Amino acid sequence: MRLAVEVERFSWRCPFAQRDALREVSLAIPAGEFTLVVGPNEAGKTTLMLAIKGIIPHSLAGRHDGTVRVFGEPVAQKNAAVLARQVGYVFGDPDAQFTALTVEEEILFGLENVGVPTSEIGARIRRASELTMISDLLDKPPYDISGGEKQRVAIASVLAMDPEILILDEPTSMIDPLGKDLIVDICGSLKRDRRMTVIVVEHNVEAFAPLADRVVLVRDGRIEREGAPRTFFDDVESLIDCGVYPPQVTQVFARLQRRGLYAGPLPLTDEEGVAAGTRLLQGAGRWR
Amino acid sequence: MGEAQIAKKTLLGMVPADSPFYRFHPVGRMALLIFLSVTPLFIDMPEVNLGLILVTLGLLWWGRVRMQQVRRYLPLLVTVAIFMFGVAFLAPGNRTALTPIRSVGATFYFEPMWWAFVSYCRLIAMLFGAILYFSTNRERDTLVALRSLGVPFAVSYVAALSLRSAGMFMEDFKTIREAQQARGLDLESLSVVEKAKLYTMYTVPLFAVALRRADEISNALFAKGYTLSGRPAGGGRRTDYLRAQYPVRARDWAVSVGLVGAFALVAALSKTTGVFSDHLSPLRAVVVGMVAAR
Ligand SMILES: Nc1ncnc2c1ncn2[C@@H]1O[C@H](COP(=O)(O)OP(=O)(O)O)[C@@H](O)[C@H]1O
Ligand SMILES: [Mg+2]
Repeated sequence: MRLAVEVERFSWRCPFAQRDALREVSLAIPAGEFTLVVGPNEAGKTTLMLAIKGIIPHSLAGRHDGTVRVFGEPVAQKNAAVLARQVGYVFGDPDAQFTALTVEEEILFGLENVGVPTSEIGARIRRASELTMISDLLDKPPYDISGGEKQRVAIASVLAMDPEILILDEPTSMIDPLGKDLIVDICGSLKRDRRMTVIVVEHNVEAFAPLADRVVLVRDGRIEREGAPRTFFDDVESLIDCGVYPPQVTQVFARLQRRGLYAGPLPLTDEEGVAAGTRLLQGAGRWR
Repeated sequence: MGEAQIAKKTLLGMVPADSPFYRFHPVGRMALLIFLSVTPLFIDMPEVNLGLILVTLGLLWWGRVRMQQVRRYLPLLVTVAIFMFGVAFLAPGNRTALTPIRSVGATFYFEPMWWAFVSYCRLIAMLFGAILYFSTNRERDTLVALRSLGVPFAVSYVAALSLRSAGMFMEDFKTIREAQQARGLDLESLSVVEKAKLYTMYTVPLFAVALRRADEISNALFAKGYTLSGRPAGGGRRTDYLRAQYPVRARDWAVSVGLVGAFALVAALSKTTGVFSDHLSPLRAVVVGMVAAR
């Protein structure tokens, strides 16, 4: 198993901060896995993502300890262009990440930076903008489109660079419900069709849990819990204490499990819930 | 929908979706800007500048710029006229050395009025040159022109980025003001002093937002693999897809060299022979004749 990301006892503190934003965090993510990162606000989720992308320590000052490796090599020793090709990063605030004057220029900026030949750039822009459904926006200035469209442009500009790892930090927190669904769809197709290593920080667990191979709970600068979604969500009460809300159907079956009424894997979607419920009722009928 | 097909938005206005200008390389279009809006500096004779304005209007029409778009500048033209002729009328200078004209119940002086007219024609010619440029060129065309002329990527990029930041600054300003109005702030009812105080208050959140933005932009640049040298470490070179989209043809060379040459010629003629002096203006001769006849 090839590891995409290895975080080893990594700690970080920003200048003037009272305490460490990350405290001896360790985490290993195999290539091709879809990881969902959850946790309360201020827990250190963004900080952890910035460390994987190398923005910490390259672009942000602070005190750090431990190492972060991407494909076996410490990020501290990679330069911006190499990291840009390996790790794509979509920021939470769609307005914060635009540096160009039109959508097309936004997408091609990164491609030019890492030296993609001009003959190849047109095709890459086309592919990325089709996947994210923004083909008809290429000519527009990025401040003239909706929040959801901005976020998809941001994703397109990262996908065009063909990164092996994609990090999305709360990609749906600042956009409308319809836009959220499209982002979830895009993430789904990345997992299905590209087998890309995806790391998503999200509060919308309901939408992303079905895609996840693994869920990580960050709290107080530490990784408090980690596991496959079907086992991760069994302790519903303590998760809700942290502000993490598993899908409704998962919560129901986790409670049934606690009372000894259900023993199977936790369902993550309504369909799985109906199937599990049917099996349960049929079994119950036979017992009676 | 129809709007989107006729015109495209730029930071400074609109450009037509399709225009014969787009068949020329951005460098050629920039040469036209220089010719139309810098040449008038060397021309005093109002007839020539008025001719340039006519040429520019013709080019606007040829370039399929909507006249509605040009009409937006009309108030500016009127304001500048009122200001320039107003100054010439109210503060003509040393009256004893000037030629008075009595008309419509007031006394004008010929020389300052004529000079205001000469300067006004020049200014408007320059302005129309710039209007033509910004009505037919998007920011990207300017970037391509600058890069084609050998301006380093970092410089042209910082220029674009500051344009982008200025846009963002205005958005932030609007957001903050709307937030304050949503909380019941009524700008109309404020006195001038209170308004001044309010605007200084704006600077605090704006400053905070600007600081955050600076951080965000530097993170975003890093995330996209941007290095200030403009060179991806590990050997390769930054590529330039935008420029590659605009091949330079023989025609573009001809246009650019021709326009810059024409500009140089006018400048040289003006300095050495004075053929563009306003004293050679036929219009001036006519007006002087009329003044003398009174
Ligand atoms: N630029 C910064 N300066 C000072 N403190 C920061 C900065 N960024 C984050 N922090 C602190 O680091 C901790 C983790 O923040 P963050 O990673 O953004 O949390 P999350 O993304 O989980 O909401 C918080 O305590 C926060 O206050
Ligand atoms: Mg965060």
